[in-house]
Amino acid sequence: MAASEAAHGEHHASAGVDNRLLLMWIFLASECLFFGSLISTYLIFKGESLVRPLPEDVFDIPLTSLSTFVLLFSSFTMVLAVYGAQHARPRMMKLALLATIIAGLIFLGFQVYEFKTFGEEGLNLSTNQFGASFFVLTGFHGTHVGVGLLYLGSMLIGSMRRNGLGRDTATHVEIAGLYWHFVDIVWIVIFTVVYLIP
Amino acid sequence: MASDAHTAEKAHGSPYGPREYIIITLILAVVTAVEFALSYSGLATLPLATLLILLSAVKFIAVVALFMHLRFESRIFTQMFLFGFILGAAILIALIALFWTATSDAIGGDEELPPLEHHHEESRELFLDPERLV
Repeated sequence: MAASEAAHGEHHASAGVDNRLLLMWIFLASECLFFGSLISTYLIFKGESLVRPLPEDVFDIPLTSLSTFVLLFSSFTMVLAVYGAQHARPRMMKLALLATIIAGLIFLGFQVYEFKTFGEEGLNLSTNQFGASFFVLTGFHGTHVGVGLLYLGSMLIGSMRRNGLGRDTATHVEIAGLYWHFVDIVWIVIFTVVYLIP
Repeated sequence: MASDAHTAEKAHGSPYGPREYIIITLILAVVTAVEFALSYSGLATLPLATLLILLSAVKFIAVVALFMHLRFESRIFTQMFLFGFILGAAILIALIALFWTATSDAIGGDEELPPLEHHHEESRELFLDPERLV
């Protein structure tokens, strides 16, 4: 506990935890409400479309499963980056951050390809209720992935400076990791609810 | 020395190393593969949905507890996250309970849709004549 307090320095809250970590957890809790609303909107509108295409006309489950594996792999590399930062292994941290960014970019590439394919098959935001709710939900998730990539990119660039990320490197990377893992768990729910359940 | 290492690990929250994380990732990958296989199993919707939701919950909990280190962190983080998660789940249940049946009744439920080839024109007509949606 004493070591932890020393590591977190003046950022300790009266609850005995790091303010910045607490803030990120509160932010992620609020994000649960955001995605909870979007997922329920999708479920309500999913079966209400008056015109095709419907989910069974456009979904490519093997392709989406592949992108799910990529995002899962990015969570693994992210946790290695946090491990590297916490155990004073900067090279491991940087390589793992880079791998996470690459995996995130591949995931976004899959999503762009999927959106483009759906568009070619006649599904867009204004086609039907399924299209509107699907694009809003997965689009917002993709935006979160994009924001996460910028966040991780700034971490990677910061870590390459002479002073690195400063004395709180482990905490900075851990907070970024919390955000990235949250993006992954939201996708775990979306993959099941949107793609797999008929 | 071992004691120092242990103290450092405790200070950082998680006692796990790369080996443990590889094992957790492999387990999560296997669960995802099982979900994928189940979606092609031909099971009825209710048992299939139940199984998929259970497997998804396992993955969700594993990532939050082990990758996000919630299992090893202060309980206040767990309480904060659970508060948001339960509220989010309550919103989901409430919205579905409120609107699912109502909208199905409004448009006539299980009516067969026209074939895929004509959906562009149908969509355009609906866009130009929103009263058809009422």
